[in-house]
Amino acid sequence: MGAEKVPNDEKLLRGVIRLNAKVYGLVLGIVLGLIIFIGTNWLLIKGGSTTPDGRHVVGPHLQLLSQFFIGYRVSFLGSIIGFFYGFALGTICGTVIGWIYNKIVDLRTR
Amino acid sequence: MQTGPVVIIGAGPAGLTAAYVLSKAGVQSIVLEKDQTAGGIARTVNYKNYYFDIGGHRFFTKVKSVEDIWKEVLGEDLLRRNRLSRIYYNKKFFHYPLRPLNALLGLGIGNSILIFFSYLMAQLFPSKEEETFEQWVSNRFGKRLFKIFFKTYTEKVWGISCNEISAEWAGQRVKGLSLLTALKNAILKSQTHQKDKKKVIKTLIDEFDYPKFGPGMMWKAMVESIEKNGSHVCLGKAVEGIRWSGNKVEALEVKQNGQIELVYGTNFISSMPLREALQKFKPKVPKEVLDAANDLKYRDFLTVALIINKPMLFPDTWVYIHDPEVKVGRIQNFKNWSPFMVPDSNKTCLGLEYFCFEGDDLWNMPDEKLIELGKKDLEALGLVNKNDVEEGTVVRMPKAYPVYDSTYRKSLDVVRQFLEGIGNLQLVGRNGMHKYNNQDHSMLTAMLSAENILGANHDLWAVNVEQEYHEEMKIEPSEEAVLDKILPAVFSRMDPLGLGVAVGAVLGFIIFLATLWLATTGGPASAYLKLLNHYFFGYTVTMKGALIGLIYGFSWGFLLGWLIAYLRNFFIAYYIYRIRRKVELLTFRDFLDHF
Repeated sequence: MGAEKVPNDEKLLRGVIRLNAKVYGLVLGIVLGLIIFIGTNWLLIKGGSTTPDGRHVVGPHLQLLSQFFIGYRVSFLGSIIGFFYGFALGTICGTVIGWIYNKIVDLRTR
Repeated sequence: MQTGPVVIIGAGPAGLTAAYVLSKAGVQSIVLEKDQTAGGIARTVNYKNYYFDIGGHRFFTKVKSVEDIWKEVLGEDLLRRNRLSRIYYNKKFFHYPLRPLNALLGLGIGNSILIFFSYLMAQLFPSKEEETFEQWVSNRFGKRLFKIFFKTYTEKVWGISCNEISAEWAGQRVKGLSLLTALKNAILKSQTHQKDKKKVIKTLIDEFDYPKFGPGMMWKAMVESIEKNGSHVCLGKAVEGIRWSGNKVEALEVKQNGQIELVYGTNFISSMPLREALQKFKPKVPKEVLDAANDLKYRDFLTVALIINKPMLFPDTWVYIHDPEVKVGRIQNFKNWSPFMVPDSNKTCLGLEYFCFEGDDLWNMPDEKLIELGKKDLEALGLVNKNDVEEGTVVRMPKAYPVYDSTYRKSLDVVRQFLEGIGNLQLVGRNGMHKYNNQDHSMLTAMLSAENILGANHDLWAVNVEQEYHEEMKIEPSEEAVLDKILPAVFSRMDPLGLGVAVGAVLGFIIFLATLWLATTGGPASAYLKLLNHYFFGYTVTMKGALIGLIYGFSWGFLLGWLIAYLRNFFIAYYIYRIRRKVELLTFRDFLDHF
C-alpha cells in the first residue's frame, strides 16, 4: 500500500497537467456563446436610445459583430444566432489552445 | 519432549494473534511465554481490583482484519471512548496541535508574542542544517516552542539530548506521508461537510475503542479460544536457546522449573526482542551478526500506579508532562480509559510513567521510594495533594521501545539479512522486529506470518513502512482508485510556456483574421478595431496591420496565458503546502502518542 503512494506523489509533484482539448473547447464555446447571448438580451431589456434623426437604436456597438458574424443583429433571434457563432468560435479557440498546449507539453517532457 | 507444528515465542499481542489465526485455520501451535501473564507490553495489571495498562493501549486501526479480530474476540466488551490527551506545562493544560486561544491564555501574551517571532524567524531564516532533532523541530515550530513543548518531553522519553537525536528519526515520522492521501482527505472532508454538516466522519484520532477492563481482557479471551481449539499457551516458559542448523530452526530450548526441555516444530514465529533472540542461537550466529544484534538498543519504562481518594482529577485519558522539574513523563488516568478500571467510583487510579534504562538509578529504585517520588511529582505539578494518595504499586517494563539511534538501521539490516536465510523462522511484533509497530501493526504482522505458514507469501517488513496518518478517513477502494487517477491530473503543474504559446497563437490569429477581414470588406467596425493602436503601436486595419496585430496579439496572449498558468500553479502549490503543514502538525501528535 505504502509503496504505491510514492509514484503517485511523484506524478503529482513532477507531472505536468494535460488539457482535454475537447472539453476545453466546449467550455470556452459555451462561455463565449452565453456572453453574446446574454449581452445581446441585456441590451434588449435595457432598451435603446433615440438618435438626433429620430431613429431608435439598440446596441449599435454590439451590432458591429454582424460584420464578422453574418446574420447577427441585436434582437432576440440575433442573440440565438450570436450564441451559435460565439459557441463555434469559442469551441474552435478552446480546442486549438488545448491542442497547442498539449503539443508543447509533449515536446518539453519528451 | 513436546512437539508441535508451529512454535510461537511470546504471548504478547503478536504471538497470541498468530496462534489465534492458526488455531482458527485448524493448525495447532504452542505459545511459549516467559512471564506468568499473557499480553506482553500490552498486558493489564490487576492491583486490588484496580486495573491498569502498561502504557495505555488504544484500540484503533485502519487495518480492517485487525479490527475484525478485536470485535470477534471482545464483542460488546469493546467500549467506544472519546480521546482527550493534552500537554501539561507550567500547571496548565495545552491542546496539541496548539489552539491559538488556549496557547495565548496558557502561555501569556508576552510569551506568545516571543513564540510568534521565534516561529517567524524559523520560517524566514531556517537552519540550513537539519541534522539533529532539535534543528528539525526548531525549523518547523521555532526555537521557543521547541524548548517548551518538545525538548523536555523528548529528552525524558529517550534519556538523551535532542542534539544527539538524529533529524532523520524525526523526519521518518512524516517523510512517508503521501501528499496524495492528504489531498484525498482534504477533498473528501470538504465534500462531506458540504453534503451534510451533521454527518461529519469522526476521525480515528478523536476516539478509540477500549476493552471494558483493559487490553488484558482481549488476551485472556484469546488464550481461552486458542486452547479451546487444541493449541497451548504455556506461561512461565522462557526460551533459553534456539537450536538451528543450515537454513532452519530445529528446536527451542525451554526452561521451566530449572529443567531444560526441547520443543520441536516445523515453523517458528518469534516476538521476543530481536537482540535477545540472536543471542540465544545455538550454535552462535556469525560474529558480525551478533555484533549487529548487540547494537540494537531498547528504552525501558516503569509505571507507578497510585490510587487517589478523589472521584475526578482531570478529564484527559492521558497527559504529557513537559515540565522539566519532575521526572514523570506521562500520566495515565485509567478511569477515563474505562470507568470499569476502578472498583470504586469515588477513587481514581493514575499511572505515572517514568522512562528509564534497565539497571539505571530509577529502574533500581525500591518500589516504596518510587511511590514516594510519584506522590512528590503529582504534588509538584499541582495535580494531586500528596495526602489524597492512598496507596500504590510499581510495574517495571523492560524493552518497551526499540531505540532508533543513528546505527540501528545498519545493524537491523545485517540481522535481517542473516535471518532471511532461515526459512522456517518469522519475526513479528514490536520488539520481535525492532520496529515501532503499534498494537494493530504487531497483530497484523502476526496474522500475515500465520497466513504465510498456511501458504501465503507476505513480506512482514512491508507492514507499517510508512507512518499512517491517523487523521486519514476511511475511503472506499472504488473512490480511492478514481481519486488516484484524477488528483495527479488536477493538481499537477500547468506549463506556463505551453499555455502562453497556445493562448498567444490563438489571440494573435484572431486579431490577424479580424483585421484582414475588415481590411478587405471595410465597414464601420474598422474604426473601432483601429482603436487597438492605443495599445499596439503601429497597428492599422490593413494587411500590414494584420501582421503587426498578429505579433502584438501573440505577445499579449502569451503574457496572459503564462500569467494564468503561473498564478494557477502558485495557488495550487499554496493549497498543497497548507495541507502538508496540517498533516505534519497532526502527525506530530501521533509522534507524541508513540511514546
